[in-house]
Amino acid sequence: MLDQLLQLVFNGLVTGSIFAIGAIGASLVWGVLRIGNFAHGDYMALGAFTTFTANVLLGLPLVVSALLGVAATSLFAVLAHQLVLKPMRGRGLTSVFIVTVGLAFVIRNTLFLVFGSGARRFDIDQAEVYVVGPIRMSPGQAITIVCALIAIGLVGWLLSSTNIGRSMRAVAENSDLAAVTGVDTDGLATITWLITGALAGLAGICLGLVQGTFDASFGAYTLFLIFTAVVLGGIGSAYGALGGGLALGLVMEVSTWDGFAGGLDPRYKLILAFIALILMLLVRPEGLFGKARIV
Amino acid sequence: MLEFWLFVLATAGIYTIFSLGLLVQFGIAGLPNFGNGAFMAISAYAMAISVVNGLPMWAAAPVGIGAAVLFGLLLAIPTVRLRSDYLAVATIAAGEIVRYLALNLQELTGGAAGTVNLLGPGIAADYNSSWLRFQSGVRGLISNLVGQRVPSDVAFIAILWPVALLLLAAVWYMVRSPWGRTLRAIREDETAVAALGKDVFAYKLQAFSVGAALAGVAGLFFAWQVSSFSPDDFRPTLTFYAFVIVILGGKTNVWAVPVGAVLFAGIFAGTRFLDFWPLSVFASGDRAYLRLVLVGLGLIVLVIWRPQGIFGNRREDALET
Amino acid sequence: MKPKDAILSASHVGMRFKGLVAVDDVSLAVARGSITALIGPNGAGKTTLFNCLSGFLPGAAGSVVFDGRRIDGLPPHRRSRAGLVRTFQIPRIFHRLTLIENMLVADRAQPGDALFGCFMRRGATLARTRAATEQARDLLALLSIERLADDYAGTLSGGQRKLLELGRVLMTDPKMILLDEPMAGVNPALGGKLLERVEHLRQERGITFLFVEHDMEMVMRVSDRVVVLDQGRVIADGPPDTIRADLRVIDAYLGRADLGASA
Ligand SMILES: Nc1ncnc2c1ncn2[C@@H]1O[C@H](COP(=O)(O)OP(=O)(O)OP(=O)(O)O)[C@@H](O)[C@H]1O
Ligand SMILES: [Mg+2]
Repeated sequence: MLDQLLQLVFNGLVTGSIFAIGAIGASLVWGVLRIGNFAHGDYMALGAFTTFTANVLLGLPLVVSALLGVAATSLFAVLAHQLVLKPMRGRGLTSVFIVTVGLAFVIRNTLFLVFGSGARRFDIDQAEVYVVGPIRMSPGQAITIVCALIAIGLVGWLLSSTNIGRSMRAVAENSDLAAVTGVDTDGLATITWLITGALAGLAGICLGLVQGTFDASFGAYTLFLIFTAVVLGGIGSAYGALGGGLALGLVMEVSTWDGFAGGLDPRYKLILAFIALILMLLVRPEGLFGKARIV
Repeated sequence: MLEFWLFVLATAGIYTIFSLGLLVQFGIAGLPNFGNGAFMAISAYAMAISVVNGLPMWAAAPVGIGAAVLFGLLLAIPTVRLRSDYLAVATIAAGEIVRYLALNLQELTGGAAGTVNLLGPGIAADYNSSWLRFQSGVRGLISNLVGQRVPSDVAFIAILWPVALLLLAAVWYMVRSPWGRTLRAIREDETAVAALGKDVFAYKLQAFSVGAALAGVAGLFFAWQVSSFSPDDFRPTLTFYAFVIVILGGKTNVWAVPVGAVLFAGIFAGTRFLDFWPLSVFASGDRAYLRLVLVGLGLIVLVIWRPQGIFGNRREDALET
Repeated sequence: MKPKDAILSASHVGMRFKGLVAVDDVSLAVARGSITALIGPNGAGKTTLFNCLSGFLPGAAGSVVFDGRRIDGLPPHRRSRAGLVRTFQIPRIFHRLTLIENMLVADRAQPGDALFGCFMRRGATLARTRAATEQARDLLALLSIERLADDYAGTLSGGQRKLLELGRVLMTDPKMILLDEPMAGVNPALGGKLLERVEHLRQERGITFLFVEHDMEMVMRVSDRVVVLDQGRVIADGPPDTIRADLRVIDAYLGRADLGASA
């Protein structure tokens, strides 16, 4: 039973890392640019499907394909910002949200149109298993762990050691202050989307690897878990999103451990996550780790 | 072809009532409730469950609407104070909770297989036979009147649309009334409304409940129109479509709602008619995706470049804050 | 002043934001039917004090008695209903409502304001709408914006918005009005006219005014009493002439030089 727990903790860390990678970007655009991006899950799917195209249809190695997928999603996010979201500057939060709903429809159904509704998979050996001590690990999980470490390291460096990263955090924490101190908001928005798109693409690829198969709506199904991670960590906080994602992944996996009176019925995992999302929005929208802010 | 238009009209009538609720919540009161589809589901299920448990249909119908309003209040009480993007996310999540619960509480709802399983697998449950009797009575009346046997959809439409028009008129009058004016003021600046001595929270609950009740009515007609429905009929996209309809009409324009609904139902029922070039390049199954791409594009274009909708007032919308 | 003459008496009102004490143990009584000015440098806590009195800062300390009733603890709309209404320093108008509609929202005697009220009390609703509309037009005329009555409020200039807000609080038939810089941005000639109107309302309807104003000339001209706030504390309180002479006030102003030399 302890082995089961260790395995669940490991699985939780893997899915948690995916939530975290997805959530960091979603949190940045929500906090910095005031965009609750409903299409974020579909950006993830876009990353997975461009990688799928390069990897399976064109036969390129997975690593190269994944880099292409990340780059494509990143560029797409910037393009969508320029064409669709930038013209919405100064409009209400709801109008912006609705535009992202439209964007989600366009991306998801274009993917369905191009790739059909069947399940897709990357060109890796799904049956292979690495055994490390008591833990069994699929190649997808191993890749995810490595990617997560690299991505999180890069983002951490960017936010803490570069000017643009510092301005981002300043804006997320207090947009009025940042406006006064003269942050280049246009450049900031573009870079925020560049990072967010790349992270979303990576999250989609990792999720596709870990799940094994995926279709065009698999990102959308994950969206609310990503949002839950964002809100748990505090909207706008990259480190919060990291913590929120990992915590969510762990809780969702470990809750099914037999040690908890036979474990939670996995069917209710999603419901629990949604309830957590609503409760957090109600009680602590500044996140589990954030400081309460007045007004 | 007649069949097609009858289907469009029936669907549009249901969408009209449903979107009208959203118009009150979102267009008038400024509450973007993305979970309104859940109230439609709750009403449909509450009615169906009541009927199979022995309640007559005309008593079960108000039970359905009452359940929708009750759940509406339950959701509204904690959430209507939230910032609008939080409200949007919280309400979608709430709608999804309802859908997942309906999927998982199989003994109560029949689960994913739908309401044919209301009494358990293998026992065909039937919640709309008294509705069908009523409908065929109306069909007989109309057939006598026109001297020719009419399709049963005609009877459905003949019951649905007068109700829809009545509700349209009622909402139109309410929106223009001082009550509606206060809601519009809340949409613009709720702090100022509170400073003028109005209980903003109470007004928001009222707007939310009116919207939930209308979703409830739509849910009843939906349940009557089909003989079995399942939780997946109430996916979040259902509410998104209603948003498209309301935005199409300019968010506050009550009489634009049925026009948007007919347009929308037409696009949705009509993929098989979208078989001309260049659309004919796509297989008919793919055209279903294509139309959703078009709906998404339409929504984007509308919100960015024509926020006043098709009928709205440009001058008014330029003042959005 | 004895408490019984006071329409509003606040004791030990305080408000802090994180480390900052914005309002620091303020006790203040306002005589019924008086016009009191609240002055002080930028950031002194005047607006915050208004927020405490009108209920927009639930975390505020201290007690507030209005018209013989404890109102601290009541939400803003209940305080407003009690007859204590306020305007905002940055006007809060309803952009996509016309001026007339803005005014009518403030009407308190409207039965159609209730859910289904327009159906259940149809006649009364229509009659009240007629009467209130007439009243609203008169007020707009008084404020010299009646020709804009059917325009959207979002098209108004800053000064016009101030005027509309003033009109709106007058529609509520208040006992006491808190005005936060009512004349900021308003043309001086019209400002003078409004001051006369304030005097008139006080005399005719016994409305009490507490107002924040930076223009010392205006303050000295209309107020019966001046309260000076600095760094959240009341540093002076008395008739205009006494205050004018009060050195500490001059110091508070000139030391920060943000009000000009008009004091
Ligand atoms: N919501 C808030 N959160 C944090 N600090 C606040 C808040 N509201 C006001 N303050 C601070 O409290 C102090 C008093 O502000 P207040 O607006 O009451 O001043 P004021 O006297 O009205 O100034 P002005 O003449 O410029 O309008 C200021 O230092 C301000 O920064
Ligand atoms: Mg102020």
